[in-house]
Amino acid sequence: MNPSALRSPWPWFSALALALLGVFVVYPLLYIFTASFFGDGGSGWVQLMHDGRSLAAIGNTLVLACVVTLCSTLIGVPLAYVSARFRFRGKLLITLLPLITLVIPEVVTAQTWLMILGNNGVITRFLKGHGIFLPSFYGWFGLITSMSFIYYTYVYIGTVAAIGKFDAQLEEAAQSLGTAPVRSRFHVMLPVIRPAILASALLVFTMVVGNFAISTILGHNVPLLSVAIYQAAVAEGASNLTMQSTLASTSVLIVMGLLFVNRRIIAGGRYEIVQGRGAKPQPLKGGQGVLVSAAAGVVVAISLLPLVTIAVGAFTVSRGPVMRWGEWTLDNVARVFITAPGPLVNSILYAGIATLISVAFSTLVSYLVVKKPNLVTPLIDYVSAIPLALSGTVLGVGLLASFNDGFLSLTGTSTIIVLAYVIRRMPFGMRNGQAILHNIPNSIEEASISLGSPPFRTFLRVVLPMMLPAVASAAILTWTTTVSELSASLLVYSGGRETLPIQIFRLIDSGLMAYASAYGLVLVAVILLPVVIATTVFKVDLFGSK
Amino acid sequence: MGIAISNLSVRYGAETVISGLSLDIPQGCFFTLLGPSGCGKTTLLRTIAGFAPASGGQIRFGGRDVTELPPHKRAIGMVFQDYALFPDKTVADNVAYGLRARGEKGGGVERKVKAALERVGLGHLLSRHPAALSGGQRQRVALARALVIKPTVLLMDEPLSNLDAKLRVQIRETIIELQREANITTVFVTHDQEEALSMSDLIGVMNKGKVEQLGTPQQIYATPRTGYVADFVGAANRTEVAVRPTAPGRVEVDVAGSRLLATDALEGPAEHGLLVLRPEDLKISSAPVAGLQSLPATIRGRQYLGARTSYSVECAGGLVLNAEMHGAGHDAFLPGAAVHLGFDPAAARVIRS
Repeated sequence: MNPSALRSPWPWFSALALALLGVFVVYPLLYIFTASFFGDGGSGWVQLMHDGRSLAAIGNTLVLACVVTLCSTLIGVPLAYVSARFRFRGKLLITLLPLITLVIPEVVTAQTWLMILGNNGVITRFLKGHGIFLPSFYGWFGLITSMSFIYYTYVYIGTVAAIGKFDAQLEEAAQSLGTAPVRSRFHVMLPVIRPAILASALLVFTMVVGNFAISTILGHNVPLLSVAIYQAAVAEGASNLTMQSTLASTSVLIVMGLLFVNRRIIAGGRYEIVQGRGAKPQPLKGGQGVLVSAAAGVVVAISLLPLVTIAVGAFTVSRGPVMRWGEWTLDNVARVFITAPGPLVNSILYAGIATLISVAFSTLVSYLVVKKPNLVTPLIDYVSAIPLALSGTVLGVGLLASFNDGFLSLTGTSTIIVLAYVIRRMPFGMRNGQAILHNIPNSIEEASISLGSPPFRTFLRVVLPMMLPAVASAAILTWTTTVSELSASLLVYSGGRETLPIQIFRLIDSGLMAYASAYGLVLVAVILLPVVIATTVFKVDLFGSK
Repeated sequence: MGIAISNLSVRYGAETVISGLSLDIPQGCFFTLLGPSGCGKTTLLRTIAGFAPASGGQIRFGGRDVTELPPHKRAIGMVFQDYALFPDKTVADNVAYGLRARGEKGGGVERKVKAALERVGLGHLLSRHPAALSGGQRQRVALARALVIKPTVLLMDEPLSNLDAKLRVQIRETIIELQREANITTVFVTHDQEEALSMSDLIGVMNKGKVEQLGTPQQIYATPRTGYVADFVGAANRTEVAVRPTAPGRVEVDVAGSRLLATDALEGPAEHGLLVLRPEDLKISSAPVAGLQSLPATIRGRQYLGARTSYSVECAGGLVLNAEMHGAGHDAFLPGAAVHLGFDPAAARVIRS
């Protein structure tokens, strides 16, 4: 390398970033990969072949992922189609869907399903009173229902975007050639938006594979991969490093395989998606309009159900696991703020620090990758994307095993929780930062330098202010997702360091739904507050950049 | 202060963009690097600025070696093709940026900023943001921003190519005025020969990382030393010819079956050369003109361009030449007509091929 290049600060920042990523991302991953091959009982992969329960967990996870992906697509695509192409009553609600999934943590969703359809659920008890017995919501029925009604939004968002870009003239061309409208839609539009649908379906698949909160709360007698990993990691006195590493590696391999397929689809889709004039939404009237409004309304209502349920549950009197609906109290909420405020304080503290670190790191690193490329920056780019392939449970296992003792002992500290948050959300910050930096021409920076401002000051004075709106929206999205993080933090937290999601999870486990609702309601408020302030006071465009 | 470049090389990885280039630009000179895209002119400018590191050789500003100096310490003023104004800062803050980077504060900055913007006719737009300016106004702000810091050299990278034709001429004049006023050594990069010819004291025509010819605009246009320069600066008819020396400064050449006289610009003895004829130096007439040597030819095509007409003319042996006629009756000749192409031996130069 040119000696003068080493005098600029950037190569040193690159080296530092790579070192940090090496220690906190690559090392834990390699640690569990290695641990899967060596152990007391021989290679974990051999053990796995003889472990019926673990094999069943892998099989169940794949089946569940397939079914949920299918259901999500069947809900998401038609919903996207009607909302992109038609106008009808209540359409505004559908456009709010992304916000809804964003603000309701999965653990709260799982909880509310139990409050409605669980063994002590509102509907279950009501029907029981009339002599009707529902099948247990624990197991396949609950898993598929609750996951489908969360994950269809990803299919919906991806498909709406693709239909919006689809050139309506293609459809008109097909019709002018004598094809009936419905046929032309199937023959012309579907192939064009297929890559987007497939990509979002794969995303759903990977999310199901990595899902922990719902899997463990509703899974019960259905062994699932992430639950098995968690159990192998936390089993009292019998924590099995080899087995947890093997199962975690399996999860990583599945997700990596899917991400690889996803990349291929997106790469292919670049050439297939025809950019053009989108069609103007047509009003739907009469019976058709009512039907579509009703169907969309049902979907949205089910998505909103958790919010309503915890809002009511938080103020409802309870005795142990039994909710006394109709009797109101402030005790539950008082507990969150006065009797046991620890989780609230911890959540704000950890997520706040993690958001700051994550945004600062990903801003600086995406700047290096885009604007100051050198030999190591492509490597930094790849490594920083690795956490995409790690489910929260896998990351938790990796951090727990790697930093238990040895050169860096973090077990039992708050640092390891913050670290888990930062690593999980870093790829999103990176993607956001890189997107905005590609839109800032190099000449702007060079102009500043030519005027006598040194490189790092140029970054602070010129580039950073231009990135600020995007950085602000990245910070808010990071905050919302870290505050609701459960699966990684549940593995690495220690007594007294419970966060809101962890506390909710523990309360659900004990069947204390009223308390759980109160914590859940506060959690949603904590998530929502910065979003509301940012969009109304600071006019940050949260979804435009997506 | 002047710029002295000696034996400069620039490499990107395995690719050598500039090798062994030497160049002297005197103090106060308006120097233009002219060439097509990919010839290395922008790389050379960026190396002078310090944005592209030199792999070998030396760059000096007024005797001071700046080769290893980072760009922010070179005291340059730079103007970019896309203006590169800071979008989140006002016009005044853009211009004040360099002064503040130098630690200047208070009323002095304000006064200088106002004066600089008034000089480019934008004194009334201090508090605007760049997005609210037209292209021409933006480039004026960029110019004011680069000059207000009183740089040692002014570097401009195709500053006019994003502007429409009329504005281009206006801003050209502004640039020249400001450059003369500040008497600042200027390096101007362009691919537009008209810009180069009209603005420069000196032009360096670049080709494949080398300065192929260095000279005043008149020298470059009237006496190109290579076929590349002849072709790039103004259109030129070029044809390979056999050469026989006659009188000093004159050679005899065979063109389209005729034996003709031409000017010797071969810079040494040679048996073959390249005959260069500017289209405007070829006179089309229906009969040979006294005092000019002439070639019989046939009109093949023509383009009427208002003030002039451009003809495509075929001589014996299939040689096709371009000729341009000005003045009264310039569009008088029609395709198919048998004509004579006349030219003065001084206008026909033979250079090394």
